[in-house]
Amino acid sequence: APAVLAQAPIQMRMQTSWPAANIWQQFAQNYADRVEAMSGGRISVDVLPAGAIVGAFQVMDACSDGILDAAHSVPPYWYGKSKASSLFGTGPVYGGDAINLLAWFNEGGGDELYRELTQDILGLNVVGRLGYPMPLQPFGWFKGEVNTVADLQGFRYRTVGLAADLLQKMGMSVAQLPGGEIVPAMERGVIDAFEFNNPTSDRQFGAQDVAKNYYLGSYHQATETIEYIFNKDFLDDLDDDLRAIVMHSVEAATLKNIGFALDSYSADLKALVEEDNVILHQTSDEILDAQLQAWTELEAELMAEDPFMKKVLDSQRAWNERTAYYQIMNDGNASTARAYEHVFPGRLNQG
Amino acid sequence: MISYIKFADALSGWFGKAFAWLIILMTAGTSYEVFMRYVLNKPTPWALDVSFIMYGTLFMMGGAYTLSLGGHVRGDFLYRLWKPRTQAWVDLVLYMIFFFPGVTALIFAGWKYAARSWSYAEVSVNSPAGIPIYQFKTIIVAAGILLFIQGIAQVMRCIIAIRNNEWMVAKKDVLETEELLIKQASESKKDDH
Amino acid sequence: MTDPQVALSMLGIFIVLVFLGFPIAFTLMAMGIMFGYYAFYDEGRMWRAFNRLGEDAGLWEQWSLWVQGFFNNRIFDLFVNQTFTVMSNEVLTAIPLFLFMGYIVERANIVDRLFTTLNIAAKGLPGSMGIAALITCALFATATGIVGAVVTLMGLLALPAMLKARYNTSFAAGIICAGGTLGILIPPSIMLIVYAASSGVSIVRLYAAALYPSLVLVGLYLAYIIGRSIIQPSFAPKPTKEEVPDMPVGQLLWMLATSLFPLAFLILAVLGSILFGLATPTEAASIGALGGIILAIAYRAMTFERLRESVYLTVRTTAMVCWLFVGSYTFSSVFSYLGGEHLISEFVMSFNLTPFQFLIMAQLIIFLLGWPLEWSEIIIIFVPIFLPLLPLFGIDPLFFGILVALNLQTSFLTPPMAMSAYYLKGIAPPEVQLTHIFKGVLPYLGMVFIAMAMMYQFPQIVFSLPEAIYGR
Ligand code: NA
Ligand code: NA
Repeated sequence: APAVLAQAPIQMRMQTSWPAANIWQQFAQNYADRVEAMSGGRISVDVLPAGAIVGAFQVMDACSDGILDAAHSVPPYWYGKSKASSLFGTGPVYGGDAINLLAWFNEGGGDELYRELTQDILGLNVVGRLGYPMPLQPFGWFKGEVNTVADLQGFRYRTVGLAADLLQKMGMSVAQLPGGEIVPAMERGVIDAFEFNNPTSDRQFGAQDVAKNYYLGSYHQATETIEYIFNKDFLDDLDDDLRAIVMHSVEAATLKNIGFALDSYSADLKALVEEDNVILHQTSDEILDAQLQAWTELEAELMAEDPFMKKVLDSQRAWNERTAYYQIMNDGNASTARAYEHVFPGRLNQG
Repeated sequence: MISYIKFADALSGWFGKAFAWLIILMTAGTSYEVFMRYVLNKPTPWALDVSFIMYGTLFMMGGAYTLSLGGHVRGDFLYRLWKPRTQAWVDLVLYMIFFFPGVTALIFAGWKYAARSWSYAEVSVNSPAGIPIYQFKTIIVAAGILLFIQGIAQVMRCIIAIRNNEWMVAKKDVLETEELLIKQASESKKDDH
Repeated sequence: MTDPQVALSMLGIFIVLVFLGFPIAFTLMAMGIMFGYYAFYDEGRMWRAFNRLGEDAGLWEQWSLWVQGFFNNRIFDLFVNQTFTVMSNEVLTAIPLFLFMGYIVERANIVDRLFTTLNIAAKGLPGSMGIAALITCALFATATGIVGAVVTLMGLLALPAMLKARYNTSFAAGIICAGGTLGILIPPSIMLIVYAASSGVSIVRLYAAALYPSLVLVGLYLAYIIGRSIIQPSFAPKPTKEEVPDMPVGQLLWMLATSLFPLAFLILAVLGSILFGLATPTEAASIGALGGIILAIAYRAMTFERLRESVYLTVRTTAMVCWLFVGSYTFSSVFSYLGGEHLISEFVMSFNLTPFQFLIMAQLIIFLLGWPLEWSEIIIIFVPIFLPLLPLFGIDPLFFGILVALNLQTSFLTPPMAMSAYYLKGIAPPEVQLTHIFKGVLPYLGMVFIAMAMMYQFPQIVFSLPEAIYGR
């Protein structure tokens, strides 16, 4: 709006891709609080839920046009513009976790590839950063049991990004929907099974009301992170110190949210079982192996299809070969599960 | 002026009615999906995308046709009591300040939006089927252009109504059942006298 | 003026403008763009290129960059973005299909069969013709969802029959107006789809929630017809043998099997598959449309001409409803960008209302809006203003939606825009005056309020079915 006084704070309108009641809305608020505190109130961040100004899948367009100054989302949500978007989170599994992916983005050249894709290839007027690294995502919610690949045939399943291509390869028909539309779509019969992300978000959506079998452990989205999108002009117009605050707050909020999420996700997993009578399952070896195999096929197709995707995948492959090797070798047999089992014997085998 | 109005009515009508037939495709396509999904357990990957693309195209391209027939809903409980000349004056002013800015924005901003989509051959994000949507986004521009052309005709209608104190009404090819029945009833009443 | 105050004046000016009678979709669009231009006005960003021009820039270059700057307001992008959001709204895809189904069924020559059969079937009951008329209206309205067609078709068929049987004019007219309006309430109704798209409440839960309230309302209407016929037999004399012939049971059953059951089956198939998650509303609507075509063929009522009519009417009505959404999505984006919702919340909260008082106030406002306006405008434009307030008062938007749907029954019946009454007047014999019609309609307004009060007193009428099916 016009007539901004010299002392008035700079308004930063940040819309998320989440409904107001989702824990990730609080993730975004944690970011906003840091920006406001560090800028001494020179920037005021208005955190809006999905749909307040534009739809969940429209935030990339909206940031590019400057309708929004910033967005809190995930890269697969603009996968219609380029499948390569999904490689910044939901892509082939090379053995590293999401923290490893975040490291690749910050230290391994991922940010430059992201810039090339958004600015040079797609011509979008945005700057993007990756934030909160997500734990491995559960295979999700089914009305009945699914143990084999054959059991998956004919399901209309909700996931996003290249995970959709992956599961289509495995015989599912896939619909991509924003998080807030999943449970209504399940009730409407648009989909028969779905995953979103984590016990807290899933429980907030009411997943436990529409399906009782929750499958943990999956390779369909092993390494996603939260994506921060900024309108480039908005960033350029900021004073240097404010720009640094806006960018570094992504890092600060990420660390905050790792703890915040762990606390909340674990409590909700417990509540899903104890209060909502959800049955936990581990995704079967057959399905996991089929996922890895399908990723390999998909990776080959993507590399053949698009030189840019090949560039990204080569970079990720090389990065993981070294870094994931280190992570895995370093832990060796001293797995966290072994220690847990020692302290809480048998606990891991109870639902 | 009259010939332009007739031209615009015909143009809007042609496009509106041509795209109206999408409803048959939509019925058939969705019914096919029902069969594939519930009978054969093989849902198509494209049904969701195709159904919203058809729905969106249908109503967008029908906008000008509906306008030509005065079918867009009005809060007309006062309006309909006025004489045509007053109605026309009000409409004329409001077309100028309300209608054209919006419709022009639809064309130009729609162009920018669609052009960007064409530049990276955008596909629907809703499924991995890769259904293109750049042509669908172009519908925004097409609908805007049709509305613009029809809007000029509506302005001319206002001018004629200001002159003659009588509206030049578009010829309706199809009447709603109630319109038809009411028309028949009023005609038979006239015949009685 | 602060931004939220600007948002409020945007709303105020809009309400005034609605009364000028310009097509509302375009009024909303224009208001959204104008106030959006203000909301997104940013001199630095809009004229960035212009401001960077050197001293030596030519006049043409200055002029063209200035104009570009003028149009470089982000509202235009928002507008297109919101238009696309409406175009790709998956819930709204069911609307053209349900309309198409309605227009096909409307042309299937089904009303006379149904009314004649029910007339004979109900013969023993007090007010039998009224009962037959109401049930015909309710069934037909449910299948078509189109108010005007039901009221006029029944007005031509049942009204003369009742008048001939010496029914009280007002009494007979009231039945048809109230019965014909039921189609917007009884699922699968389009009004509930529109409410779902406006509120984000699941459409199938709305359908489930609306089912018992619809039955309650139909039950109240029937109770009124029977009760009034018993108390004032002169209102609804028993029909003579010439008016309604006697019929052997076998033949009656055959007539029911060929008139009532196919339509009832179509409705149940569509509704049942939606409620039990067998098909999405869009899928069920397409099957309904296909079923309607088959029904029309079976009744030898399907011609290419009728198909063509249905197709064209579908595009017109769909465009009418969905362009309203195009306007309102843009309008409400700007309204919320300016922070108008917060101000309304604060304003309403400052009265310290109890949830009950708030509910009464909201429903009263919607009832009053129903005098001059129709349901589509009210649900797409005005109901969203109340929605953000619901959580503050702990009111379930599902429950609120059902109350609104009941309430809006009255919008067709209250002057100055009492569309049902006008449709009926349009085809009724000249001796039927508007005052007769309004007098006949009045008791049904009371019935709607009684139904709403029952929902409030016994919310289980609303919640029990969705909870049973969807588990919460
Ligand atoms: Na996910
Ligand atoms: Na009214």
